Amino acid sequence: MQPPTSRELVPVAAAPRRSLLHRLLYGRNIDRSAKARARVGLAIAAFAAVYAVIAVRLVTLAMVHDHGARRGIAQDAVATARPDIVDRNGEILATDVKAPSLFADARKIVDVDEAVELLSASLPDLDSLEARERLASKRGFVWLKREITPKQQIEVHRLGIPSLGFLDENKRVYPNGREVSHVIGHVNIDNQGIAGIERWLDTHGLAALHMAGLATDRLQKPVELALDLRVQHALRDELLQAHDKYKAKATAGIVTDVRTGEIVAMVSTPDYDPNNPREALDPTRINRLTTGVYEMGSTFKALTLAMALDSGKVNLNSTFDARMPLRFGKFDIHDFHAQNRVLNVPEIFTYSSNIGAARMALAVGIEQHKAFLRKMGQLTRLRTELPESAEPLVPKRWGELNTITIAFGHGLSVAPLQSVMAVGALVNGGHLIPPTFLKRSEEEARSLAVQVIKPETSDKMRYLMRLNAEKGTATKADVKGYYVGGKTGTSDKIVGGRYSKTKVLTTFMAIMPADKPRYLLLIMLDEPQATAETHGFTTSGWNAVPTAGKVIARIAPILGLEPRFDLPPADKLILAAAKEAR
Amino acid sequence: MLRLLHVLVVAALVFAAADVYKIKFDSTLQAEKVAKLRAEVRRERDAIAALRATWSELGNPERLQGLARRHLPLKPIDTAQYDTLDRLPERPPEVVPPVEVDPIASLLGRDVDVTGSVQARGR
Repeated sequence: MQPPTSRELVPVAAAPRRSLLHRLLYGRNIDRSAKARARVGLAIAAFAAVYAVIAVRLVTLAMVHDHGARRGIAQDAVATARPDIVDRNGEILATDVKAPSLFADARKIVDVDEAVELLSASLPDLDSLEARERLASKRGFVWLKREITPKQQIEVHRLGIPSLGFLDENKRVYPNGREVSHVIGHVNIDNQGIAGIERWLDTHGLAALHMAGLATDRLQKPVELALDLRVQHALRDELLQAHDKYKAKATAGIVTDVRTGEIVAMVSTPDYDPNNPREALDPTRINRLTTGVYEMGSTFKALTLAMALDSGKVNLNSTFDARMPLRFGKFDIHDFHAQNRVLNVPEIFTYSSNIGAARMALAVGIEQHKAFLRKMGQLTRLRTELPESAEPLVPKRWGELNTITIAFGHGLSVAPLQSVMAVGALVNGGHLIPPTFLKRSEEEARSLAVQVIKPETSDKMRYLMRLNAEKGTATKADVKGYYVGGKTGTSDKIVGGRYSKTKVLTTFMAIMPADKPRYLLLIMLDEPQATAETHGFTTSGWNAVPTAGKVIARIAPILGLEPRFDLPPADKLILAAAKEAR
Repeated sequence: MLRLLHVLVVAALVFAAADVYKIKFDSTLQAEKVAKLRAEVRRERDAIAALRATWSELGNPERLQGLARRHLPLKPIDTAQYDTLDRLPERPPEVVPPVEVDPIASLLGRDVDVTGSVQARGR
């Protein structure tokens, strides 16, 4: 078959275009064979067009190949999937497992009473009143029991009650239970995070994914925390022992990497089991490190001394008069370990002299004191990944008396995590790094860090901290080989608006190794009691410090710190080395 | 000529129809297989997740510590038990291998095994 040639079309080319086709097909004066060819041509064109459409459709179907794959998801995973949470070594802290849930179509139920009776036989913890009410509601979909065991599922299935059905739901489980409760937080029955890192996940995109119905798959990338489960366990174990031994109301501890701001372990007892979130409602189980604010006591003196040394107005050989209690108005400031003589700066630190610290802060000045604490992040709320955080209690009017008391850690309440951040900056060369629960590299930390004190001041602070473990209040934490340094703190608690004589909060900040700190440990005991072993004392050196010593002996090998022996004392190793380097 | 063409076209049509039917049948089969495999993968993945959860529950340090205390004589390591490799003493000098033959025994000769309790042979 030949296509119509141009020669035959020439006679009609002058006519308008629309009528050309028409005339070719139906015109009387056109040659029959030309007409036939035109008709066949038209038919071919029409079929070709149809086949072209089919071909295009086939190609598109082949390209979008998971067309029917989504169909199954609707029956699956009502409670949406969450990514696994793992510790820094990949140990699972939180994961999803599938659990069947029982639902009913209340419109189709035949006999409500019989159904409830049968169900409560195989599901003993079913609230039969509520189940009856739900089944009588005539709604198309009611939950009867969420998250039942596979065995219960088989039993209920065997009952043969019409209108019942099962849906597989994601159930969040925390295999390590109480060990990580305050960090991880927990979820509600619909798998939405309501505390801790779980809540943080929801506020950072996961909730939006859930809304879009996309987070149904298990293939989400696990979230890696900075936490080390082994360190966390060792810390918690020792804190629980201390809790019992000193009959404390609460204990708390935290281990951070001073170079990156990573929180390697964080424990606050009493804690709760995230698998049973109801326990978390008990107000005694709050996370004391981020949600509580405390007067940190003498550990704050580290900040005061660093400020004084950094200002240049004070050096290590400066002396301050601590012969008499410091009198201000009707207040007398006493020393606990009173020496009643003129003290130099290292002595003020090791004897933890309130008078010396107060005089030092006054020498620097009130405004500078306030500005320094602001720079160190002590006057504003510290925000981490955890949604729970507390605003520090800062005096509204900051006078001379405030500076005096805050110099030794009274009159300003901060979250313990906040002071950990500040002390970390004092010893790591002066870089203030916001703490984090997520993994962070040293480079990232350096880009976030703010230089708050001079590196020389940081050297001096390390020296003072080490000196305190050699001959000060922290000797009981000097685990041989790890070159521990630290500052103790014992603050009287306020009971009924007055400072109590018997109720104290003891803290201990330890750095290890003191010549080149890598880790900072805070131990905090709330209202420890005197025991025979502590000779009736309740100060930090008798309870928080020995606890810290035990913790350090256990965690240092896990953290990869190599024990070194026969190291020279602090003044030779830290001060002399620092002087040589400059 | 035209008839032959028609026969060929009809034959081609029948063949094409049969082929399309076969392809469709196969693809349905494959799709079913894919759906089945996908469901299986999901089931396996859920099972793996459950097992991993159980595994980390069993590996919980608190539980292991309790078991170790009850069943093992091991104690926490002490810092004194650590040492660095460069403090390792030098390898001791080669010791001359001891003489194979017991010199006293060779002096005593064949009567070496005669003691108060072992009677000499031939008596």
